Amino acid sequence: MDLQKRERRLAYKLMAPAMIVLLVVALYPLGHVFYTSFTDRVFAGARDAEFIGLENYHRLLAMTIEELPPVIDEETGEQQIDEETGRPVYERPIRVLPRQPHAYRELTTFSLFGTRYVLGARTPNFIRAIGNTLYFTIVSVFLETVLGLLIALVVNSEFKGRGLMRATMLVPWAVITVVSARMWEWMFASTRAGFFNMLLDRFGLIDRAIPFLTFRPFQIPAMIAIDVWKTTPFMALLILAGLQMIPQELYEAARVDGASKLRRFFTITLPLLKPAIAVALVFRTLDALRVFDLFQVLLARSRYSMASFNYYELVANRNMGLSSATGVIIFIIIFIFAIIYMQMLGVED
Amino acid sequence: MVNFREKPVKSLLFLLMLAVIIVYLLFPFYWAINSSLKTESQLFMTPATMIPRDPVTLEFRPYWGNYIHIFQSGQFVRGLRNSVIVASLATLLALSVGTFAAFALGKLRFRGKTVSLYVILAMTMFPQVTILAGLYAIITRLPLGTIPGMIFSYLIFTLPFTTWVMTSFFKDLPIEIMQSAQVDGATPFQTFYKILLPLTAPALVTCGLLAFIQAWNEYIFALTFTAIDPGARTVPVAIALFTGQAAMQEPMGETLAAAVVVTVPVVVLVLIFQNRIVEGLTAGAVKG
Repeated sequence: MDLQKRERRLAYKLMAPAMIVLLVVALYPLGHVFYTSFTDRVFAGARDAEFIGLENYHRLLAMTIEELPPVIDEETGEQQIDEETGRPVYERPIRVLPRQPHAYRELTTFSLFGTRYVLGARTPNFIRAIGNTLYFTIVSVFLETVLGLLIALVVNSEFKGRGLMRATMLVPWAVITVVSARMWEWMFASTRAGFFNMLLDRFGLIDRAIPFLTFRPFQIPAMIAIDVWKTTPFMALLILAGLQMIPQELYEAARVDGASKLRRFFTITLPLLKPAIAVALVFRTLDALRVFDLFQVLLARSRYSMASFNYYELVANRNMGLSSATGVIIFIIIFIFAIIYMQMLGVED
Repeated sequence: MVNFREKPVKSLLFLLMLAVIIVYLLFPFYWAINSSLKTESQLFMTPATMIPRDPVTLEFRPYWGNYIHIFQSGQFVRGLRNSVIVASLATLLALSVGTFAAFALGKLRFRGKTVSLYVILAMTMFPQVTILAGLYAIITRLPLGTIPGMIFSYLIFTLPFTTWVMTSFFKDLPIEIMQSAQVDGATPFQTFYKILLPLTAPALVTCGLLAFIQAWNEYIFALTFTAIDPGARTVPVAIALFTGQAAMQEPMGETLAAAVVVTVPVVVLVLIFQNRIVEGLTAGAVKG
């Protein structure tokens, strides 16, 4: 038996266990999820699952826009004005949204060219979960990149105790996400026993303590603050590694040519850092899109991310078909992001 | 860069910036330690105090009861035990299976190599939550038990990671080592086992540590799979669902004490291996 053949045989033998494991823990469940997403399967249900085509997807994603007719005052023949708010009154969304064959519930209302509309969805919570996740992902990854770049540039300078600084950067990264969620939960506590309310109060910025985690406008920003704290160091480390690969001679040459510091940053540092930033961005974005721990621990069912919606649909509602369809949609959204990134940043070359 | 004599203002600004960054990174952890040393009444003192203080005399008075309570409570100790078992076995399995594959991918010539590499890379980016329902179905159906089920399911992220990192490590080893061993009559497997594997020991340690931290951190699978088997809960799940000794109140002091207890060992490990970890984390990213 010749050497090449032996080598090939050995390679297949060595690859086999890994491939079998991946088949069982990844490919089979993936196929199962894909198949189940077309059925009405319920976990531990008594009856057999039936094939229902795209119904789960329709249920999750179907949206409709309906016009809200103004409420006309019978006496004056004009539109009613709300006495408290002074705003014109429109028909209640629930009376306008279709109920047959599927019930739609209100997602939001908006005005366009003087007409009032309602946006309805069959599963408003999932549409909101997509919105929450995108909002969370875009803002937190943006902040992490900017802060990470800043920290990397600072740490890249020569100074005593640089090693210690780099060690410090690993601390937030080493904290379990659930633990960081609970640490921050306490800092965000809704009385002055909470750190942030204590701080705001001490500077006289608030009269009343802010319930960061239950007041809707603050919920997602709070999640972003925690995520930024935990993952900025990771971003900074990746960018730092990129910084250290830039040859010093380039800076020397630019300095000789009289380029200003700012100019050197934009013409040398940033372009050469692009690959490192690109990879960090891809990793972080794909990670942020599947955010689960923070939302599940801190907001539970008051506000969903895509992943926590999937979890509650599966574990609390035992709705395997719908949960599987959610999984497929998450997969597609993440895939789209990955492709956009590859195109935009030219990661392939 | 920092030169006080020549540029005092600039250096001062630089140090200030460093200080801000350090405080930002460490403060939440300090606050957790501070709060974990407070009693219920100290915790709810308003305004909150920067160190544990006596509510009446305002003297410094740390309280160790939270730490004592969590070690007396079964749920936390059991969680620790489960986490140690699950994370270490998942890491060991991933390392052994992954290193075999990585040797083949890094040093042997065979058809389908590039495809396999890309499949494995794709897996590292794969959203775990997608297959949650599928894995749940498998794990509840197989007569495996929850803990082995978790160990097995954790391979979905530990295995691609270890394979990928070890492959790039094997690739970097000079081919001459293999060739000279082959000239001496060693089979490829003997070369791998007796010569290359000892050389990879440092990489194995780093890789194992990173995989261990990932598994130690894992929450969504653990939460889902232990929904029907509370005895198998790992530490993250135990901390997320912490209920104190007294019912109907949120035991923040105990939760934070548990948070500190599970974080300190990881932080210590990370600090010991910091150089290697940074290398391991950035290797894949920088080399592309």
